[in-house]
Amino acid sequence: MRSSRTPASGTGGEGGTTAGVVWRGASVLLWRVVLAAVLVCGIGLLPWLSRTDPALTVLKARSAERDPTPETLAAVRDELGLDAGPLRLLGQWLGGLLRGDAGRSWLSGTEVMPSVVQALGVSLTLMTVALAVAVLTAAAVCARSLRRGSRFGLVGRAAGGSGAAVLAALPEFLTASVLATVIGVQLGWLPALGWYGSQWMVLPALALGVPTGAILGRMLDDLLPAAFTEPWALAAAGRGIPQGSLARQAVRRCVPGMLPNLGLFVVGLTGGSVAVEQIFDIPGIGRLTLQAAIAQDLPVLQTGSLALILLASAAGALARRAAPLLLGPALRDGALQSLHQPAPPAPRTLPLMYGIVLLGAIVLGLLRDPLAVNTAARLRAPSWAHPFGTDALGRDLLARLAHGAFATLSVALAISVAALVTGVLLGLLPRLSGPLVDAVNAVPPVLSGLLVTGIAGSGPYTPALAVAAVAWSPLATHASALLRQERATTHVAATRALGAGPRYLLRRHLLPAVLPPVTRHALLRIPGIALALAALGFLGLGAQPPSPEWGLLLAENLPYAERAPWAVLAPAAALALLGALAVTAAGGVRLPRWTRARGSSTTERVDPLPVPNPPTPRRPERGTTPMRHTTAVTTREDSA
Amino acid sequence: MTPRRTRTTRFHRHHRLAAGLLACLLVSGCFAPGGGSSASDSSGSGDGGRLRVAFAFPPTQNYSPYGQDAFSLSRLGVAEGLTRLDENGTAVPALAQSWSSEKDGRGWLFTLREARFHDGGDVTAAAVVSALTHATQAKPAPAALAGISLTAEAAGDRQVRISTAAPDPVLPQRLSNPSLAVFSAKAYEKSGTVDPVGTATGPFRLTKTTGTTEATAERFDDYWGGRAQTSGIDAKFVADGAARANALRSGEVDIAEAIPVSQIASLDSGTVREVATARTTGLFLNARSGPFADPAVRAAARVAVDTSVLAKDVFEGYADPARGLFGPALTWAQGKRVELTGRAQAARVDGIAITLATYDNRPELPEIAQVLQQQLQRAGFTVALEVRESSRLLTDALAGKFDAFVGARNMMLDTGDPVSVLTSDFTCAGSYNMALLCDKGVDGTVAQAATIADLGKRQDAAMAAEAAILGTDAVVPLVHQKAVIGVGASVRGVLLDPYERAFVGAGTRR
Repeated sequence: MRSSRTPASGTGGEGGTTAGVVWRGASVLLWRVVLAAVLVCGIGLLPWLSRTDPALTVLKARSAERDPTPETLAAVRDELGLDAGPLRLLGQWLGGLLRGDAGRSWLSGTEVMPSVVQALGVSLTLMTVALAVAVLTAAAVCARSLRRGSRFGLVGRAAGGSGAAVLAALPEFLTASVLATVIGVQLGWLPALGWYGSQWMVLPALALGVPTGAILGRMLDDLLPAAFTEPWALAAAGRGIPQGSLARQAVRRCVPGMLPNLGLFVVGLTGGSVAVEQIFDIPGIGRLTLQAAIAQDLPVLQTGSLALILLASAAGALARRAAPLLLGPALRDGALQSLHQPAPPAPRTLPLMYGIVLLGAIVLGLLRDPLAVNTAARLRAPSWAHPFGTDALGRDLLARLAHGAFATLSVALAISVAALVTGVLLGLLPRLSGPLVDAVNAVPPVLSGLLVTGIAGSGPYTPALAVAAVAWSPLATHASALLRQERATTHVAATRALGAGPRYLLRRHLLPAVLPPVTRHALLRIPGIALALAALGFLGLGAQPPSPEWGLLLAENLPYAERAPWAVLAPAAALALLGALAVTAAGGVRLPRWTRARGSSTTERVDPLPVPNPPTPRRPERGTTPMRHTTAVTTREDSA
Repeated sequence: MTPRRTRTTRFHRHHRLAAGLLACLLVSGCFAPGGGSSASDSSGSGDGGRLRVAFAFPPTQNYSPYGQDAFSLSRLGVAEGLTRLDENGTAVPALAQSWSSEKDGRGWLFTLREARFHDGGDVTAAAVVSALTHATQAKPAPAALAGISLTAEAAGDRQVRISTAAPDPVLPQRLSNPSLAVFSAKAYEKSGTVDPVGTATGPFRLTKTTGTTEATAERFDDYWGGRAQTSGIDAKFVADGAARANALRSGEVDIAEAIPVSQIASLDSGTVREVATARTTGLFLNARSGPFADPAVRAAARVAVDTSVLAKDVFEGYADPARGLFGPALTWAQGKRVELTGRAQAARVDGIAITLATYDNRPELPEIAQVLQQQLQRAGFTVALEVRESSRLLTDALAGKFDAFVGARNMMLDTGDPVSVLTSDFTCAGSYNMALLCDKGVDGTVAQAATIADLGKRQDAAMAAEAAILGTDAVVPLVHQKAVIGVGASVRGVLLDPYERAFVGAGTRR
């Protein structure tokens, strides 16, 4: 059994001849190399695409107050050899790379390779610790499901999720600056500046790990209830296996569905934690590439991005290897159960409540002027005149929040929908999208903004395009991971055996199984998208002051977070509320009807004790009785 | 079942062990090298009180003295040149003891003092000549040498003759620029770069640099100005203003440079020092194209702007309302201000649409722009804002794509000479002409000022040129900024330099 697992491990779990696997592996590798090449060349052409003179950006990055006289610019151009043109420069850099020499930084003239390696090392360390925090957070998020699930108390119960959604909506720069001020300065418990040892890692890792863990935990929590209703769980419970063990195996059953996303976080946390690096002054690769992107320091930018792509490929490959390891031969043999929620989530009053609070604040605020500057009333605490207080220019925050809502929500929602559609579609084609996801994910957001601007010009839709260009990747990853599992389920095998074609399978079985969790995932990321949009502002993209767009609102009030907490609290709370609303409402989206009328689901919901029989699957057409009760875990235990 | 489970557990344990080992390896390898000794152990004041300083601008060119990093070297007390500027903007002796002009101002003879390099050698005329010659050959040339050609030759062992192609009355001020600092021959050994580690002449000897994050300097016992009071400096470069303020508050550093206005209120009032700087924030109106090509519309904008709220509220008092281009930090300018005459009458504005651009590298600028937006809109303009990172803005601004521009400018940056800034910023051929002003009258007065050798008269002429520029309304000065420095309670003797070149000196201690 062990030996026969290898050929299938890299593929979609459908088996295949060794030659076919090798060919497929080679084509994926080729596609990976092509993508990396396209990205590196894109970076190499960036200044020429965007018509921004690198001599000028380098000069300004070297010394901000230097006059850009024609002679000075000519000297810089000469020094960097820019007149050779992008292709020659790119060729030189690639040639050097083959010898392990990534050239010299245009900005500082120092060698690129050591500085990138060192920054990457710092970032990897931070990422590792942040992931540990994320795992703990995810565990906390899922604790309730695990506890109840192992006692079979989950069936039909509304899953939580508000808490996780609120955590996931926390902008990391806000968490970071609050942690730095409160724990680092006011309490003095931990150092908040620099990168010298394990004490210095705690705060940044918390800032990065908590939102990440919340998203991961939420994804896991989405799958857990179904895992507990699988026959093996019932059988194990019947056999008297302790609840802790059961919970552990349930996690093991669900983790493969989100492993690829974990891989994405590995890269995202390594290359994309610029804000946290800045606040805690950590010399990581995020800041290095950001500085290089702004200065158009191409050798550094190319090397940094390439390093991140390699990391992304490695993380992706690891994640793909780990899934079969965890699930065992069941994945290959098509012996999995479908991880759907056994019963549709109950309709809930919670989203209604969140919605009313949010809407109420917006309606109240719409009657006020969001742009009236009154510097005499700056940073006023909340009062009757200004229920949410005022910002640094004395503007009413309630008004700004309300007037920014429409712009923020409509754009973020549109991007989310586009990302969802793209993500699911590309998720259906894992061999095409896998490497693409890795490449896209390795691109720091600012660089993606620059690249999209370079290609599409800076129109009104550029920022949305730039964010959408990367926003689909976690969704595609999620979708393809779920699909892979879904394809290996017994009911799909049964339907196929009954003669169903691929289209029917897709429409009736695969998509209905994959869409709900991916949609919930997409909703969970709406606040993040709003923040990403605001982060492009300084490139002259996206909302410009004095627009009250929420991301901008957060960014412009962040420096005052300590003196005027309300100024950041209002937009942060709004984003968190939005996240909670999106997640809780998603449970009800699929089931707006009253389920009480339906007999079977009612019994399921009220029965709090271990059900003697496997709960009847929801959909008759999918719910063929499991043909083989050998599921992932039991098979593995038997084979060991 | 039981034996199977044991086996699984063992399997897991192996994995955990491996993961733990891997984590240890990762963690141990990846901290900023050398940080342990300087950062974590120096919290006590045991070893004669080393100073821990948070600087705002990380080195961008690996401490090359020909760019902005020169200012870091100078502020660290590491490098110095032949002269330095006193608070009145006059050149006073540093490595040169005295000087005199010759050949109708085309040449200057500098007499060196007895001084030593950090590597032990004497500061000789030959060494100074070599250092200056290297500076003139740097590409691009240091900003202080922009537009002049300079040659240095030794005149005996202790004297250096510096000649320029055209008479340069401000050469002694020019030489105070940190980019013309003097380093020993060892610094120039590797061609194309200058290595300031252990090769300069200041009260502190740079001993180690760690990437762009840290630098360590030790007291230089043979400093010509006497031994420094502190035994060494541990400098950190922290770009984030809030992080610098936090580091000072938590006691991780003793001095923090450039505290942003938003963070000042969070510091103990006893730790805040302020110094007026030569930095003026102004509203530059596009005098070449668009609505502001009309002087009457520019006058309307000038009338609409109320600068008092900017200094009082946006800067929370850490700035002075503008009185002209040259602020109170330039003490000489205050008594010499010229009455403005011949300004245009403000036009009536009704719905003129303009774009107001600014950059966000300094956090106050977007706030100022938003206040101005409202003030201008009250006066009848329709204002769209454009806020970008400065290098993404500059080309468009100089190409006249915006109608108005809010920017900050150090009026004494490169040469310490008021006329050179006026030339680059407000004349037709100026390279930093944000107002895109091209006015014959202004060009004439500025050119005339540039020819005057006598310092006092040159300043008079500069003030006349200032009046001519302000008379065109192409620039509306907004505030004169102050630099705010956070200084720990026990620290004494921080140098508050309006020209932002000196910071830590021989007398700084804690």
